[in-house]
This record gives sequence, C-alpha cells and structure tokens, in this order.
Amino acid sequence: MASSSSGLTFKLHPLVILNISDHYTRVKSQLHPPPSAHGATNGVDPSPSPPADPPRVYGCVIGVQRGRTVEVFNSFELLYDPATHSLDRAFLDKKQELYKKVFPNFYVLGWYSTGSDAEESDMHIHKALMDINESPVYVLLNPSINHAQKDLPVTIYESELHVIDGIPQLIFVHASYTIETVEAERISVDHVAHLKPSDGGTAATQCEIPCENSLLRQVSSLLRRLPAIESGKFQDDFLMEYNDTLLITYLAMLTNCSSTMNELIDKFNTAYDRHSRRGGRTPFV
Amino acid sequence: MGSLENLVTQIQGLSGSIEDIAHLHNILRLADESLHSESSALSAVLDQVDPAKHSLGYLYILEAFTSGPVSKEQALTLVPILARFINCCDAQQIRLAHDKFVSVCKRFKDHVLLIESPLRGVSPMRTAVRKLQTTSEHLTTIHPDFLLLCLLSKSYKIGLSVLEDDIFDVDQPRDLFLYCYYGGMICIGQKRFRKALELLHNVVTAPMNVINAIAVEAYKKYILVSLIHYGQFSTSLPKYASSAAQRNLKNFCQPYIELATTYSSGKIAELEAYVLTNREKFDNDKNLGLVKQVVSSMYKHNIQRLTQTYLTLSLQDIANTVQLGSPKEAEMHVLQMIQDGEIFATINQKDGMVRFLEDPEQYKTCQMIEHIDSSIQRIMTLSRKLNAMDEQMSFDPLYLTKVGRERQRFDFDDFDTVPQKFPI
Repeated sequence: MASSSSGLTFKLHPLVILNISDHYTRVKSQLHPPPSAHGATNGVDPSPSPPADPPRVYGCVIGVQRGRTVEVFNSFELLYDPATHSLDRAFLDKKQELYKKVFPNFYVLGWYSTGSDAEESDMHIHKALMDINESPVYVLLNPSINHAQKDLPVTIYESELHVIDGIPQLIFVHASYTIETVEAERISVDHVAHLKPSDGGTAATQCEIPCENSLLRQVSSLLRRLPAIESGKFQDDFLMEYNDTLLITYLAMLTNCSSTMNELIDKFNTAYDRHSRRGGRTPFV
Repeated sequence: MGSLENLVTQIQGLSGSIEDIAHLHNILRLADESLHSESSALSAVLDQVDPAKHSLGYLYILEAFTSGPVSKEQALTLVPILARFINCCDAQQIRLAHDKFVSVCKRFKDHVLLIESPLRGVSPMRTAVRKLQTTSEHLTTIHPDFLLLCLLSKSYKIGLSVLEDDIFDVDQPRDLFLYCYYGGMICIGQKRFRKALELLHNVVTAPMNVINAIAVEAYKKYILVSLIHYGQFSTSLPKYASSAAQRNLKNFCQPYIELATTYSSGKIAELEAYVLTNREKFDNDKNLGLVKQVVSSMYKHNIQRLTQTYLTLSLQDIANTVQLGSPKEAEMHVLQMIQDGEIFATINQKDGMVRFLEDPEQYKTCQMIEHIDSSIQRIMTLSRKLNAMDEQMSFDPLYLTKVGRERQRFDFDDFDTVPQKFPI
C-alpha cells in the first residue's frame, strides 16, 4: 500500500474512534457471551468463549469536506450482507436522511470497518459507496490489543487509480491523518476512556494507552513539584510558607472545634440548666 | 479463727488467673463483714498474705484493719505498711475493688498528715494514682488527695507532671473541683499562671446546681491570677458557666472585684491603699501573697503598655510613667521582663534609652513546624471527642424534651432544621 498522493489532509475526531470500538465491542460480546457460573455441563470448567474469528463490523463515517481538508466528525453503523458482499443500501439512505436533518453540513465521507488489514472484498464496498462520494475514505480499526504499539491502531485509506500490470485498478493507499478535538469532546472521551472496564481483550485499545500516559503525567508533575533548589534562602522561605500553611490548618481546626463546642454548650444549657437563657418559658424540672 | 484461716488459704490459692480472682472477689465481698468484726486479729494475718501476688485479698484485709480511729503512734507503724502495699500491688486486681482502694488511699493520706510528714506520702500516692487510672485521661478520686499532699509538702514539680495530662473522664464532680483548685494552686506556686488560670477557670465554670465553697475560693484566686497574668479582668462569665455560678459568685467575692476595678485604673498608689485597707480580708482567705504579686505585676503591665505606644523611651520617662522610684528601678524591671520573655527590648546603658523590638520569632524553623504539628494532632483528637459528645448530647432525652417544648416560640435567630409552628 503506497501512501496517498492526493494531498488531502484528514482530520479524525475521537468520537468516531470510540463509536467504532464501541460497535465492535458490542457485537463481539453479543456473539460470545461470557460463560455463566452454572454453564458447565459435565463438571468440566467452562472454557472461555472459543476464540473464533473476531467479527467485522461495518459502518459509515460522515463529516465535512472543505477544500483540501476532510474532517470526519461522526459515524453510524451499517449492516453487512455477506451474501451480496455489500452494505444495506436502504438502511444507509434512511440513516443518511436522518443525520442530514440534525447535521445539515455533514456528508457521507466514507465507511469504516474493523480488522487488521484491508482486504480485497473491501474494495467492493468501497466502489459501492463511490456513487455517494466520488472518493470515499476507508477507516480501519485494528481491535487487537498490541501493548507494544504506542499509536492508535486506526488507519485511513483512500482509493487511487493505479496502473498495475497494464490494468488500471483501484487500490487502497494510506493516508495520514491528525486527531482533531473540540474541548467538549475531549472531556467526554476522557471520561469514557476511564470508565470502560477492561474485561479481558475486549477493551478498546485506546483505553490502555491514554491511561498509562496519564499516570506517567501525574508522576512527572509530582516530581516537578518537589523543591529543586537547596540554597539557604530557599530553605527559609520554604519553611516560612510551610509554617503559614500549617498555621492556617490549625486555625481552621480551631474554628471548627469552637463551633462544635458552641453547639454542644447550647444543647447542654438547654438540657441541664434550670433557667434557660433564651427566655423560653420552660417549667422547672 | 477458723474462718479467717480459711479465708487466708483461699486468698493464697485463688489469686492465679482472672476467673479465680473474680471468684475470690465474690468470696471476699461476702466475708467483708466478718473481717471488719475481727480487726484485732488481722495484723498477724497480714504477714501471711503477699501484697504483690494476692493484692485483692491483702486490700480487703488491710481495709478492715485500718478502719476505725487511729492514734499517732499507730499511724507511724501503719504508714510504711500502706506505702509498701501501694507500691507493689497489682493494678488489675485492685481495680476490681475500686472503692476499697480509694478508701485505703484516703486513710493513708490522713495518716501521713497525722504524722506531719506529707512528703512521705507523695511518691506512694503518685503510684496509686497511676495504678487506679484506666487511661491517662481518667480523673480518679485520689487525684485531689495526691495534689493536696504535693501542696503541703511543697513538691510542686511532681504535681505538675500529673497536671500535664488532659482529662476527659471524671469519676465524681467533687473530684474535679478539688483537683482543679489544688492544681491551680500548684501552678501558682510554680508561677505558671496561664495553666493556673486554665484550671481555676474550669472550677468556676464547671456545671453546678448550687454554688459551692470550692468554686468561691477558686473564683477569688481566679480574679487575682487573671490580674497578674493578663492585667485585666472581666466579671462576665462565659455562657457555659452554670447560671448558679453566674448569679451568685460575685456576691461572695466583693473585695476582690473592687480590687480589680482599682487595678484597671492604672494607679499604683490607689491600688496599694486599697490593699492596705482590706488587708485583713485577704489575709483570712490566705491570699495575701497573691495580692502582693498583683501589685508588683502592675508595673509590668504598665511597661508592657508602653511598648505599644513608643519605639524608644528613656529610663527616666519609664520611671515617671510607671510611677517607679528611679531610673535604676525601671532598668531592673525592664531587665527582668526581658529575661522572662515578656517583652523584647534592648537597653542602651550609655544614654539610658530603651528600644522596644518586635517579636523576633520568624516561624521559619523546623522546631516550629514540629510544635505546630503536635498542636494540630492534639486538636484533631479534641475535635473527634467533641463531635462524639455533641452527638451523644443530641440523643439525650432531657435535651429532646426541652427542645420539643420550646417549639412554640418562633425565634429568628435560631432558625434550625426542626420545623416550627408559625404563630398566626
């Protein structure tokens, strides 16, 4: 796969990546439900779900194309018909209409799938989509977790007409992309990334890598906060500030104690003192 | 006597494990009457029983032995026996017979006073206090007796070491009053006026339904110490003082309150005149020494007031303002105060100028950190205890009934979450 020469810049939003991984996770867990406790038939330990071929999921990506920049904002799922090796066209059209109503600017930019590498059959789907978009993009997510790999396992392919053996053919070529986020997106993606439980191998790969990085970031920020200078003047100022903080804590605790004490005394006086101070007409005990 | 020998064998046999001791305790309780009736034969029995191992049995016998009036010679022989017992008895066993131990200790104190050597009693009493306490925050009935012996024998430092503990549990209210009163006196003896003030304050503000003599005496000393330490005194008691105290204490301490008002005028001559006129009253209360200290503290407070107005002052001016005799006296006073750490100043002897300085504490040292840290720890324990007490108070049925009855009145300044009836 050669790299793209079309000169288009691709911008991918993390929402798309999350959607794809979510789709894949769902399908996979529905296909191989986790073994239940009393699922053993003859006393044999219930084996984990047989590692069948991971299912491929398909869907459509939508976004905006402005000049030379293609920005992929969102995605939705599609059904794949293995018989005809094509995607459910009617469904696609209906979904596209619905999305048009909410996001009038978004166009179908291409499609996505999961797998380790692009396959020949993908070309069929690609060509089928070419009537909506003359140059669709193919977003491929590799769901297998590779801890050694630091980058996201997402690749974007474009189709180009190359002459191979005298026959002009459409082949997939790599396209470079950047991740683009809006602030709100970043927060929610971060949130989701931390919430997702990793049950065996079904966790989306991007969960693990940001987690590790964030831990490392925390450690490094902690290290940076330690005092770096050792001069005498620094000691003085440092200790003074430290003492100030301690004094403030002490003051806060004193205030807290005083207020509890105040309440306690009020209660005590109400309960045990024969003549209440607030002028209430309580009978003598 | 047969039964007595039986008892002795039982004591010797059953002082092993905890169940045996509980069993022995029951036996002893039943045999208490017979022990008391045979007090003459007990001295021989005492030798057969070992105070360290058979503490409980020994205690019962000892208590029966020492009941009844005692003459001075008898006291002389008894004191070493009692002291020995207290020093080597087993704390676990004696805590079972709490009251007996307390009465034995009290008798020990009486005997020691009878033979007029309170110093002999100080150390055994201290051991007794430590053995009877369940935790160091516990105030027992023998604490005041111990402090009394310290006072009479002038061994203040030992008393101070016991006073350092914070108290959270009290056996009987009277113990607290006496303990704090004696404790205050010990601190005055050691010139630790702040701690004395704290202890006397406790006596004055402790809950009481009717006013008692200890509180009155404590209040008199409280006024005097407050004048010495702070240079001022306010007659209003805080709101956690009982209403009985708030209304009645002042009536009993009239001369002292007038002393305080004269003090606040700042004129030494008037103060001294007042002291002279009421000398007898102060003497009757045995407070004359304190009153003299009050007068001398007046100079100190006047000088301290000067530090807030002037940066430098000549010794002559100080002498004039404070109504001292001569600059030499002024210099002596200032020097003394600098040594005690009450003011920060430098004296320039060449031109007789005193320069007042700021407190040089910069709060920069590690010792300060440790000091603050330990204070924070203390206050955290205190805070936890306070919260627990507050919760306990909220469940108190007496409190709940009173709060329930007061709900008719709609007070704007105590709007709490309990729904109140609105008067229409």
